[in-house]
Amino acid sequence: MDESRRSFLKGIGVAAAAAGLGCTFPLLRALASSGTPAAGVQTRQLCMVIDIEKCLNEDLIKDCTEACRIEHNLPGGESDPERQIRWMWTQKFEHTFPDQAHSLTPKELRGEQVPVMCNHCTNPACVKVCPTKATWKRESDGVVMMDMHRCIGCRYCVVGCPYGARSFNWHEPRPHIKNIRPEYPTRMRGVVEKCTFCAERLREGREPACVEAANRITEGAMTFGELSDPNSKVSALLKTTRTISRQNALGTGPNVYYIV
Amino acid sequence: MSDTRQDRITNHLTRPIIKTGRAYYGTLVLLVIAVIWGLIAYIVQLTRGLTVTGMNNNVAWGMYITNFVFFIGISHAGTLISAILRVSGAEWRRPITRVAEAITVFALVLGGIQILLDMGRPERALNVIFYGRLGSPLLWDVICISIYLLSSLFYLLLPLIPDMGILRDNPDIKGWRKEIYRLLSFGWDGNPEQKRRLEIAIGIMAIAIIPIAISVHSVVSWIFGMTIRPMWHTTILAPYFVVGAIFSGIAALILAMAIIRKVYKLEDYLKPIHFRFLGVLLITMTALWFYFTISEYLTAGYGGLSEEMHVLSAKLTGEFSGLFWFMVMSMTIAFIALVFFRSKHAIGATVIASIFIVIGMWIERYSIIVPTLTNYAVPSHEVRIYYPSWVEWSITIASFCGFVLLYFIFVKLFPIISIWEVEEAEEALGEKIEVIKDYMPGKTSATTES
Ligand code: SF4
Ligand code: SF4
Repeated sequence: MDESRRSFLKGIGVAAAAAGLGCTFPLLRALASSGTPAAGVQTRQLCMVIDIEKCLNEDLIKDCTEACRIEHNLPGGESDPERQIRWMWTQKFEHTFPDQAHSLTPKELRGEQVPVMCNHCTNPACVKVCPTKATWKRESDGVVMMDMHRCIGCRYCVVGCPYGARSFNWHEPRPHIKNIRPEYPTRMRGVVEKCTFCAERLREGREPACVEAANRITEGAMTFGELSDPNSKVSALLKTTRTISRQNALGTGPNVYYIV
Repeated sequence: MSDTRQDRITNHLTRPIIKTGRAYYGTLVLLVIAVIWGLIAYIVQLTRGLTVTGMNNNVAWGMYITNFVFFIGISHAGTLISAILRVSGAEWRRPITRVAEAITVFALVLGGIQILLDMGRPERALNVIFYGRLGSPLLWDVICISIYLLSSLFYLLLPLIPDMGILRDNPDIKGWRKEIYRLLSFGWDGNPEQKRRLEIAIGIMAIAIIPIAISVHSVVSWIFGMTIRPMWHTTILAPYFVVGAIFSGIAALILAMAIIRKVYKLEDYLKPIHFRFLGVLLITMTALWFYFTISEYLTAGYGGLSEEMHVLSAKLTGEFSGLFWFMVMSMTIAFIALVFFRSKHAIGATVIASIFIVIGMWIERYSIIVPTLTNYAVPSHEVRIYYPSWVEWSITIASFCGFVLLYFIFVKLFPIISIWEVEEAEEALGEKIEVIKDYMPGKTSATTES
């Protein structure tokens, strides 16, 4: 009887210990590797200022999006607009700024296409929710980065971003890239991607591809620079012109500004 | 006398394990076919990518996440209800606790699988553990659901121990089954010390499981509630989800009980009175559900924030109104059936109500998730309605069949009604009489003196 009682208790004990260990492991791992830069800690932040009026130009928009597509090996050939991989695209003014448009919005703006991309938010909704830190805010310049090798494809960030700035690779992207540019990595199916302010060009001290392409057509259509630097071109613009940003009330702190 | 009564109970309750009818195998084959069909659909999805689903970059979550929330909700049937009934000493719980606890474990397994099904790169699932960010609500879910799964498994196995002893000693059972029973009986021989310890262990687990269960459905709701999307970002979401979970959980429990009592001829154990009592709980939950729903929609509609109004009107009068009003109608029918027909036709009324509630609650999950994602406020392109593809339908149906299949196998291996707890009811009778006497005026006893 004693023997049986002991093995009975031992069995229960072992089961409980296994259960306990099983739960604490992920908890500890998570504690050790958690950490998002808290809002406000960011000292350096790259930003972009887009002149809406100067961008009301089909050729300019085409050149920008094309430059981005070639630069980053974006796949084409997707007929479903909601399935396209897009880092930079355009959408109607009243959809881009639903809190700015009204029934009498000037007809120069209403229905016009405004270039949009990831806002590299100060308080990014996507980074907050990502379970694996596959998307994170780079402390050195505030760019919201993406690690395609870590991403598990849960699409929580796609759901979390209120700007529709993230695209998921619904199918294998490689067969749909016209000419693969060997300098830039391609992606695999099942991961999320988005604009990185051309992190690969920033490293070489160059401006993002879209900015370069846009300014080749109309100087000053897009300006890129350091927000925290009082002498930068962007700070000068933000100080002297009237600018808005998308869905400001959401508290994400978008860093792409629009001159109206 | 007591011996023969016990023998009779043991005989009744072990019969489904020892004897297997033809209908059982027939159903088993159907379920297995459905599951295999789902597996084929999943292989198609694995080889071609999530492009075979109906989802897109706007509605990036669809049926799988709906199923996830639904299954986790169903899981509240069990453990939570059986725990609450145990803690409050409700005697009528005895024959239904195990029916409930088994639902929990299998619903959690199927719920967890839904997340894997939804992932773009399921082979990287462990990144959540290796690189997990505690800031993500998804990680809260991983943690809480793992704890819940382990503790409810433990909570299912604990009260099984004495029954395992009974089956181990049954001369009709031989071979590998006997081995399983021997293993799971943990050397049980029913001596008073073992009994005392088991009661303590069950008591502790019953209390511990209640906050765990509530945390689980709260963090499930926070996957949505923590984002800044219209109609998700609301403080009511966690309690709303918990209420919905218990609500659909009880309904699932009633359905399981009704099927088991019919199929295994256990009418003498799962009686109309059990359905009637559960029906009372269900009425309370229906009323709470209506209260929460009205509170949520009235607040959103009255405030009239433009983003929320887009989603709200899509639900009330727009593309999702069919689903929404079908849900409201289901709950209304359930409420009427429960209030007016429960006393006369306990089983019929509660079963009909439960069918409507289970369907209604699945639709509720769907119409919380999909309309918000349809993104009316900032349409990058056209607003387009999401329709699940045949792959999603197949996998969903297979998931439900898989759930029933697991349950089927469980019933074949383990007594679905706790033999020892039903047998002990007789002993409890005496205690209860003493307790009731304590309530009465003019009598003082140890428990009433302070
Ligand atoms: S725009 Fe969206 S994807 Fe970009 S940083 Fe902000 S929340 Fe993240
Ligand atoms: S899809 Fe990838 S980047 Fe987005 S939240 Fe999930 S793991 Fe993070």
